Amino acid sequence: MDNTVKRLLERLVRRIPSRMLKTTLDKWSRLTATQRQSIDYTESKWALTEKLLAICEVFMLVSPWFHTDVIENPNLGMWYAFQLMDPQDDAHSVELTQFKEQFKSHLSELIRHVSIKIKKHTDEAVWIRIAWGDTFSRPNHLKPTYVVHYLQTPYVFLSSLTSKQKPLLSQALVLSTRYQAIKDANLSGRKLTAIRDLLMKQYLQVFPTKFPSPLAERNRVVSNLHIEKEQAGSAANRHQMACEAFGDGLLPQLQSAVYKLETKFRDHTNKTMTERDEAFRCVVKFASTNLLESLRHSASSGVASTPVTPLLSSVPLKGKNYFVITDNGPGPSSQMKPSQK
Amino acid sequence: MCALSSGVLSHLSLLEVKARSRKTQLQQQSRVMELKAKVEALKTQREQLKAQIQTHQVWGLMVVEANFCADEEEENMDEESENSNLLQLMARHTQLKDLLHAHHLIGGYDIIKTRKGKGACVSIATAYENVFLDTFNLEIDLKPTVKISRHNIPPFIPLNNLAEQNNMQTDLRVFLDTLSQHLNAFVGRKQQLKLVKEKHKSIEVMESNVLCSLLVLLLTVPREKTAVLCTLDYTDHTRCLPTRVHLESEDKQLPDSPQWKKNCTLLMETPVHKALITMKKMGSIV
Repeated sequence: MDNTVKRLLERLVRRIPSRMLKTTLDKWSRLTATQRQSIDYTESKWALTEKLLAICEVFMLVSPWFHTDVIENPNLGMWYAFQLMDPQDDAHSVELTQFKEQFKSHLSELIRHVSIKIKKHTDEAVWIRIAWGDTFSRPNHLKPTYVVHYLQTPYVFLSSLTSKQKPLLSQALVLSTRYQAIKDANLSGRKLTAIRDLLMKQYLQVFPTKFPSPLAERNRVVSNLHIEKEQAGSAANRHQMACEAFGDGLLPQLQSAVYKLETKFRDHTNKTMTERDEAFRCVVKFASTNLLESLRHSASSGVASTPVTPLLSSVPLKGKNYFVITDNGPGPSSQMKPSQK
Repeated sequence: MCALSSGVLSHLSLLEVKARSRKTQLQQQSRVMELKAKVEALKTQREQLKAQIQTHQVWGLMVVEANFCADEEEENMDEESENSNLLQLMARHTQLKDLLHAHHLIGGYDIIKTRKGKGACVSIATAYENVFLDTFNLEIDLKPTVKISRHNIPPFIPLNNLAEQNNMQTDLRVFLDTLSQHLNAFVGRKQQLKLVKEKHKSIEVMESNVLCSLLVLLLTVPREKTAVLCTLDYTDHTRCLPTRVHLESEDKQLPDSPQWKKNCTLLMETPVHKALITMKKMGSIV
């Protein structure tokens, strides 16, 4: 077993948290029952890794493909969402085998040394793991790119992709999914499930209805009955508007929203800034452990004014967390180039 | 001497502080009383204003009613026709509202006005086999053009295509009917897949997709334990039944046997979870 493979296995095992090690190895179908039983989980991780390597050396069963539970470890890094554009007529009937064959053949044509593994997860997600090499070197399994795609949807999620690899991957994806182009969806986050749920609308959205269901009991400590009596109406109103803008219940966990401003400085008390000819450039970044919950709470508590400004509500509405705001209008909705919807 | 004077001086300064604080306390107390009085005054003013608003509203209604009655008595032709038009419109409005409510009760979509008539929100309920399933919503801007502003319809339902093809601008009802068809069919297929997974554990689902437009099942024939791969294509996304059933087996004769030809027809005409029950009863599969 060569050194790169050995190092890869060591690194992979090291990445798995100790408490998840047993469950992960149980799910890895390459080990037999006796082998699994022979692993003593009370040993140190180093000792365990050595043991595992020994088992694998004997049977030469090392495959860099681990169960997706390992892959969905949030410490994998940042995930970026992309959107496929302009489907061709047969885009809706692309099925798995066809997609797999097409993708593998297109990408192999574009780059000589590449290792592609495609697997379908139980939730209909197609996972692609790509190890890139070049004309002179073998595929590097230590820095693979992961691609997740749901067939019949226009969204693709990518992780760990360099700018050199991007055009090759884009080409292969576009051709195998039968679309005509792919563009950046301007949405990124550490948790794949969060950005996926946001784009596929898999969280609880609130709409105005004729028979509004009562919002769940919120056990608030009432400090002053008079204040409560006066403020109850407007508080409920703010809560309703905040939920309509962002959603109810658990919201997908986004970590940041970035607004890049290229506008004119408008404060007339500051002459030096207003008299400049060039546009005023500024980047505003909101960061939080759960950005959408923070924004919803700031709207329902009154910190952010309601109705919620389109600048903030565009995050869940458009499924984006990167906006460029120029002077053509009051909100991000008017800045979108016609091709971006 | 010093100790005594410092004692006296400190005592004096204490008294001074006490006197001052008593003054501010008094001031504070009087200030509190002032504010309380102001609160009472404002509350009374608010009650008065509320009462005024109510009176105006009632007065407005009374004026309209009075006009109706007065005009009926005067038998003025123009005003009567205007009022009868108004009454007709009001009757039609009530009729439409009742119709919409009935539509909602039988499981169709429901629509309400939002933002003072500038928008509407449509709730499309879906059901399969007499069970209500998911509800989908669409918020629509009505002015300046009819446009969808927000929705929770999954991305594999071609919403924009349907809007274009069905002329959402001119015929909202046709668009909503088609959308409702697509959504109900999707939910129906999804439910069938769920039931197959729950009730038929001996049958393995080899492939499915998010739109539930393709289903590949691995069936086993009893006794010989031959495997049969059954592919169901649901190319018509407005239907819950497949448009094509394809059978493949290691036993090449099997798909052409009369029993399996019947099974093929059964799968085309009956929802898959029910068809599988029948096939099990007939002994075609385990």
